[in-house]
Amino acid sequence: MRVCFITFRSITYAQRAQELLRRSGMGTSLGRTPGSLEQKGCGYSLRVPFTASQRAISLLRQNNVPYGRLYCQNENGELEAIT
Amino acid sequence: MIYLDHGATSWPKPEAVRRSVLRALETCGNPGRGGYGLSMEGARTVFDARRAAARLFHCTEDQVAFTTSCTHGLNMAIRTLVLPGDRVVVSGFEHNAVTRTLHALKANLHAAGRKLFSWEDTLEHFEDELRKEPKAAVFTHVSNVFGYVLPVGDMAYLCRKYRVPFILDAAQSAGHMPLDFEDLGADFIAMPGHKGLLGPMGTGLLLCGRMPEPVFFGGTGSQSIQQEMPDFLPDRAEAGTVNVPGIAGLRAGMELVEQMQVKRIGERETELSHTAGKALEDMGIRVFRGPHQGGTISFLPPDGDCETMAEKLGCRGICVRAGVHCAPLAHESAGTLETGTVRVSFGYDSGCRDVRMLCNALREICRVK
Repeated sequence: MRVCFITFRSITYAQRAQELLRRSGMGTSLGRTPGSLEQKGCGYSLRVPFTASQRAISLLRQNNVPYGRLYCQNENGELEAIT
Repeated sequence: MIYLDHGATSWPKPEAVRRSVLRALETCGNPGRGGYGLSMEGARTVFDARRAAARLFHCTEDQVAFTTSCTHGLNMAIRTLVLPGDRVVVSGFEHNAVTRTLHALKANLHAAGRKLFSWEDTLEHFEDELRKEPKAAVFTHVSNVFGYVLPVGDMAYLCRKYRVPFILDAAQSAGHMPLDFEDLGADFIAMPGHKGLLGPMGTGLLLCGRMPEPVFFGGTGSQSIQQEMPDFLPDRAEAGTVNVPGIAGLRAGMELVEQMQVKRIGERETELSHTAGKALEDMGIRVFRGPHQGGTISFLPPDGDCETMAEKLGCRGICVRAGVHCAPLAHESAGTLETGTVRVSFGYDSGCRDVRMLCNALREICRVK
C-alpha cells in the first residue's frame, strides 16, 4: 500500500491533526519524520494512506491546523513532495 | 485538620491527581524527543492535558503553554508586552508576581482603582488610565488577599476599545470561576496549576493569544538545527523538558473541575466565605467584606496581631495564612499595609463544618485574650 507523510513543525500540531482526523474517521499513525524529509532537524509527521491523503490535507486546511508538507510514495516506492 | 489556605495551594490533592502523577512516572518518557513508545506516551499525556485546558478555557491546544507556575507565565507575558520605561496600567490589587516583574523592567507603573469591592471605582479609574495610551494593562481576576472579584469582562472590553494589549492574572480564579479566553480576547492569561485546578505544585499554564517572548531558551524537540527559538506555539514557550508527571496530575485536576462544574465550585466557595465573614463580624472581628467577593476573606484580629492569630489557629489544626500575602499594593489600597491580614480561603472540598470549626476556634481564642 502506498503511504504518505504529512510533516509538522511541532508535535502539538501533529497531535491536533491526528485528533482532528480521528474524529473524521481517519486512522493515522504519529511518528518521527524520516530524516530525508526534515531540513531543520527533528519533527513529527502523520503517516496516512495515499488514498486518504488529499482529504486529510483539506481537513487540516479547513480547520487551520498548520502542517509542513505532504510527501507521498510514488510507484517506485520513493517519497515525493506533493504540496 | 481544617484546611483554609486554598489561595496558597489546593489541599488535599484528589486521589485521581495522585494516581495520574504516579502513572506518568511509570509510563512516560521525554515527550517530543523520540519516536519510541515511552516518549510517545509522554507526548500523549501532555497533549491530553493541553486538550483538557483548551476545553476548560476555550482556546486551541497549541495556545496552551505549560509553565512552572503562574509567576513564570506572568514573567513571560509581561516581558513580551513591556519594555523598560513603558507606561503600564495595573489594578490596585496586584500580586508581586506582577508588580515585581514590572519593577524589574523599570516600567512606568500606574495603579488604577484602589477602592475595595467597588466595580464603579475600578472601571472609572481603569478607563482614565487607558485613555493615556499605556503600552499594556495587567490585572488580576481576583485579589489574593481580599477575594475581590474584579470586573474583568468590562476591563477586557475597555482594553479592546482603547487597543491596549492586556494580561490577565488568573491565579485565584482558574478553577474557581468560569474563564473564557476567546470571549475575553486576552493577549495572555496566566494561571497556576496547583490552586483551583487541583494539580501538583510546580505546574502552571500560560494561555497565549500572541507569540510570547521566551524567558528560557533551549531544546524544544523541534527545528533543532536552527539556533533561534521556534516561532510557533507552544514550543517557543516551552524550552527544556516539561514537568510530565505534574502535567499529568494537572490534567486529572482539570478534568475533575470540569466534572464538578467550575461555576458550582465558585458559588459554593462564595457562599462559605459569606457565611464565615458574617459570623466573624458578629463576633466583633473586623472583616473585609463586600459585593463581588469570591471564596476568600481577610480579617483583622481584635489586637491587630495577625501572625499570632494564625499561629493560634494553626495550633488548633486550622490552616490559614497571615501577613502581607505578597501583595503590598492590595494592602496599600485597603489600608492594611502596616498590619497585614489573616486570610481564609475556601476550596473545592470546603464545607460548613470548616466554617463552624473556624468560628469555634476564634471564639475560644478571643475569649482567652
